[in-house]
Amino acid sequence: MVGIVVVSHSHALARAATEIAREMLHGRDVRIALAAGLDEHTFGTDAVQVQEAIEKVDGEDGVLVLMDLGSALLSAELALDLVDPGVAARVRLCAAPLVEGLVAATVAAAGGATLAEVESEAVAALAGKQAHLHPGPAAGASSAVDEDHGDADARATFTVANRHGLHARPAARLAGEVRTLDARVQLRNLTTESPAVPGASLSRVATLGALRGHEIEVTATGSQAKEAVDHVLALAARQFDEADDDPGDDGSSAAHPGLSSGVAGGATAIGSGDGPYPASPGIAAGPAWTPGTSVIKLTAEDLAPAADPTAEWRRIRSALATVRRETVQTRARTARELGEFEAAVFDAHLMLMDDSELLDDVRRRVNDGASAPHAWSTTVKAVAEDLSALTDEYLRARAEDVRAVHDQVLLALLGRSSAFEPRPGVLVAADLTPAQAALLDRDVVSGIVLAYGSPTSHSAILARSRGIPAVVGAGAQVLATPEDTIVALDGETGQLVVDPDAETLIEFKSRAADRELRLDEAMAAAAQPALTRDGTEIHVAGNVGCVADAVAATDHGADLAGLIRTEFLFLGRDSAPSVDEQEEAYRAVVTALSGRRAIIRTLDVGGDKPLPYVDQPIEANPFLGVRGLRLALARPELLRDQLRAICRVAADHPVSIMFPMVSAVDELLAARRILDEVLAEAGGGTEGTRPDDLEVGIMIEVPSAALKAAIFVPHVDFFSIGTNDLTQYTLAAERGNDALSTLADPLDPGVLRLIDSVCRAAASTDTRVAVCGEVASDPVAAPLLLGLGVDELSVGPYAVPVVKQAVRQLDLRHCQDLAARALDSVSAADVRSMITG
Amino acid sequence: MSETATLSGLNAWVREFAALVDEHKEELTRLDSAIGDGDHGINMERGMAAVLAALDGAETPSSAALLKNVGMTLVSAVGGASGPLYGTFFLRLASACGEVTEVDADTFAKAVRAGLDGIVARGKAESGDKTMYDALAPAADALDEALAGGSSLRAALEAAADAAEAGRDATSPMPARKGRASYLGERSVGHQDPGATSAALLFRAAASVLG
Repeated sequence: MVGIVVVSHSHALARAATEIAREMLHGRDVRIALAAGLDEHTFGTDAVQVQEAIEKVDGEDGVLVLMDLGSALLSAELALDLVDPGVAARVRLCAAPLVEGLVAATVAAAGGATLAEVESEAVAALAGKQAHLHPGPAAGASSAVDEDHGDADARATFTVANRHGLHARPAARLAGEVRTLDARVQLRNLTTESPAVPGASLSRVATLGALRGHEIEVTATGSQAKEAVDHVLALAARQFDEADDDPGDDGSSAAHPGLSSGVAGGATAIGSGDGPYPASPGIAAGPAWTPGTSVIKLTAEDLAPAADPTAEWRRIRSALATVRRETVQTRARTARELGEFEAAVFDAHLMLMDDSELLDDVRRRVNDGASAPHAWSTTVKAVAEDLSALTDEYLRARAEDVRAVHDQVLLALLGRSSAFEPRPGVLVAADLTPAQAALLDRDVVSGIVLAYGSPTSHSAILARSRGIPAVVGAGAQVLATPEDTIVALDGETGQLVVDPDAETLIEFKSRAADRELRLDEAMAAAAQPALTRDGTEIHVAGNVGCVADAVAATDHGADLAGLIRTEFLFLGRDSAPSVDEQEEAYRAVVTALSGRRAIIRTLDVGGDKPLPYVDQPIEANPFLGVRGLRLALARPELLRDQLRAICRVAADHPVSIMFPMVSAVDELLAARRILDEVLAEAGGGTEGTRPDDLEVGIMIEVPSAALKAAIFVPHVDFFSIGTNDLTQYTLAAERGNDALSTLADPLDPGVLRLIDSVCRAAASTDTRVAVCGEVASDPVAAPLLLGLGVDELSVGPYAVPVVKQAVRQLDLRHCQDLAARALDSVSAADVRSMITG
Repeated sequence: MSETATLSGLNAWVREFAALVDEHKEELTRLDSAIGDGDHGINMERGMAAVLAALDGAETPSSAALLKNVGMTLVSAVGGASGPLYGTFFLRLASACGEVTEVDADTFAKAVRAGLDGIVARGKAESGDKTMYDALAPAADALDEALAGGSSLRAALEAAADAAEAGRDATSPMPARKGRASYLGERSVGHQDPGATSAALLFRAAASVLG
C-alpha cells in the first residue's frame, strides 16, 4: 500500500487534515506520517522530519508526499536528497492542494491504488473543486498557452466525421470532457492551418472552423495528457455522440435552432416531417407576434464607464449565476420532455457562460472601466460576429446560440425580466418558460405556436390547462415568421398554416365554428354528472396547478380536482415555503373549488429540478433517482411541513392527500406515519383529530406499484394512475423522445395490463381508481379506461365538458368487451385501430 | 597568493554570521513583515542559535564535518524556506570543501559556487526574482573575479561582501517572483528582500573573519 507523508508548516493543520482524511477510511488503514511544524506550536518545516516521515511509511509501493506551501516544498525536495536513493526513487512529491489532495490520496491508497493512481486522484481533487466553483478549464489548464504545444506530453490527429463539423454541440461535448481531466489540451485545424486553441474553451474550439473531413491535431500536457488525447480520439470516433442519422443532424430538419429555411411567400403549410404536434385542442387564426423580437437597448447610463470594477464584475457574476440556474432548469426540462439530444444545445449555452476565454475578456473590459452591460455586450457580440464570419453555414448559425446567451445575461444584468406583455393574436416563440406560460390569458392570446417543445412539455400542459389552442415542435423556421403574418392552427390535429390563402382560412374558420358549437353543447351540460348510457357515473375531475386552474375547473363542471400539483410553491426560490405560506396557497385553490374534493399531491420533484434549499446529490438518471415520495422521505421535514399545511386546510374542506412516485408499501407506510404524527400534533396529541373525510391515496407511476396494487389496497382510499410516467417506466422509453414516440404509447397492451392489475385489485373494495395522465382526455382511450374499471378521469380543466360528453356516449358493457380485446392486442397501434376502426 | 580558510576560521565565520543575524534579526523581521510572513529574522536567529548550540557540543574534526553540521541544523531548526536553502548551501559547501582542516582560497570559492548552485537547484530562483540569489550570485562572481585577479582571500571576500550588499540593495525596486512575497507581486516593489539581506550578512561575516 502506498504510504503518505503530510508536510505542513503547522502541526495542528497537518493533524487535523489527517483526521479529516481518516474519516473517509471507515476502519481501513493507511500509513500516514506527518512532518509538520518545528514543534507542536512553532510554524515551520524541517527536511529531516520529512526524511524520517518518508522512511517511516516507505514500502515497495512507494510514498506520496503532500505539502502545503513555500518551504514545505523545499524541505520535501531536500528530504529526497537525504533519503537513500533507492527510497527516493519511489517517492512522489505531489502538487495537489493539501487537504483535498490528502483526502483523495488517502481514499485511493486505502483502495490499493498504485502510486501513480494515488497521485492522479490527489491532483484531480482540485479539479473537482474547481469544477464545482467555476466550471471552467481543469487544473492547470490555462488559455495563455495557445501556441505552446511543442512540448506536448501526448499528441494525435483525428478527422472530423460529424456532418456539420465541430459545431457547438460536439464542441461543447469535447470541451466538457476535456475539462474533467488534469491536462491542458490544445486543438489545431491542420487542414486550415489554424492556430492552436484551448480544447476546454468552447468559444475557441468553435473558431477552428472544423468541417467534416478536416484533420484536427490534438495535443495535451499534464498528468492526464495521454488519457485526454485518447479520450478526445474516442469521442471523435463516436462523432462526439452526435448520431449521424439523428433527425437533428439533418440540415433539412425543423428540429434545429438557427436553421434559416425561411418562410416563402404565399401559404406555407408546415406539417411535413415530425412536427408540429397537436398540443392543446382548439382552432386559432390571427396575426403572429413574437415575444423576443425587441432588441435590448442599452441606455447612455448603462454604457457609462463604471467607477468600481469589482462591483461591475460582481454584477456580471450574479447575472451569470441567475441565467445559469435558469438554463439548468430549462435543460433538465428539455431533457425530460424531448431527450438528451435536444437538451444538449443548453450545454453549449452553459459552457459559453463558463468559458474562461470569454470571461477573461469581459473581465479585462470591466477592469478597464467598462460598465458590466457594456463589457458583456461588447465581448459576447464580438464572439457572435467571429462565428458569423465563418464560411460554414451551419457554424454561422451557431452565432444564434451565442446571441441567445448574450440577450439572457444582458437582461439579467439590467434587472429586466424575460417576461413579456401578452398581445392579441398567435404567439410564436421558441419555447416558453413556465413563468412565461403562466402570463398567457386565453381571452388575449388566441393561439400558441412553439418551435420546440413536445405535447407533453410543461408549456403544452399549461396551454391545455388555459384552454389556448397550441401546436408545438413546429421547427425553427416558424421563428422567422414576420410579425403580423396571419397564422392558422388546429391544436387537435397539429395542422399549422403560415399566411393561409382565403380558402384555407375559411376552412379553418368553419372548423372552428363546428368546434365552438360542440363545445357550447358540452359546456351547457358540464355541470351535470357524466353518466354512461347504462347509467354508471364516472367522475370527471380537473388537474389543477394554480388558483386560475381551480376556478376554470369549477366553471367547467369538474366533479372534483383530481390532481392538485404543489411544485409551483417550491420551485424557483431559495428557501422552502413556510407552513403558513403553503396553507394560504392551498386554501386559495381549495376555496376556488367551492366545496369540491381537492386531491392534493405532495411535492413531486427530483434531481432534474433541483431545489436550492434541498441538498440533492447529482444523479446520473434523476428519473430513476430520488424523486417524489423518495425525496420527501429523505427530507422528512419538507414532507412534514407540507402535510401540516394540507391538514390545516383539510380541517374545513374535503381534502385527499396523494403521494407521488411510490414503488413499495414501506414508503407509503413511512409517509402515513409522518401524517399520523402531524395529525396528532395538530390535535395537541389527542386522538380523534383526523378530519373525517381526509383521504389518502397514491399515484401509480411505477410498474411495481401497479403489479402490487392489491398489497396497497388496505392502506389507501384511492389510486391515481399517472399514465405519462407509468408508460415511460413500463416501456423504458423516455416520453417526448421523438425516436421512441411510437413505443411510448399509453395504449400499449403492457401499460393497459398494468392498469388492469390496479383495477382488479380495487374492484371488490371501496378503493377508487382514477387516471390523471394525458391519456384521460384522449377520446380513443376513454372507453378502454372505463372498460378496465377506472372510476374517474382527471383532465385539464377546459377539457372537462368534452370528456363528460364523451363518457355520455359510452356503454360500459361494450367498453368492457373492448378492454378485454385490447389486453390481448399485440400493439398500441392495434388497440387504436380496433377502437377507431 | 591568498591565505587559507582554516577550520577555526570557518568556525569563526559561522559564529560571526550568527552574531550578525542576532544583531539584525529585528531588521530582517521588519523587512519580511513588509512582503512576507514576518518570520525571517526569528527563523534565522532560531536556526543560528541552534547551530551555535550544536557546534558547542560536537566533534567537528574537518571542514566537511563542521559545515555539514551547520547545514543539517539549519535544515531542521529554521522552519521557513531559508532552512532548506541555507541548509543546502552549507551542505554543498561541506561536500566541496572535503574532509580537510584547511581550505585554500580557490577551493573555498568553488565551494561557494557549489553552494550557490545548490540554492538555485532547490529554490529555482533566477536573477531578478528578488531573492537571496540576488545577493549571493554577485558575491560568488566577485569572489571568483577577485581571486582570479590575484587578490588575497580576505580582499576577495571583502569584494564579495560589497557585491552582496549591492545586490541586496538592488532587490528593492524588483517585484517579487518567488516565495510568499510573490503573492504581493507589484506591491512588493520598494521593499528590500529579507533573504538577500541575510545573505549579505553571510558574506560580510566571511569578510570580517576569514582569510
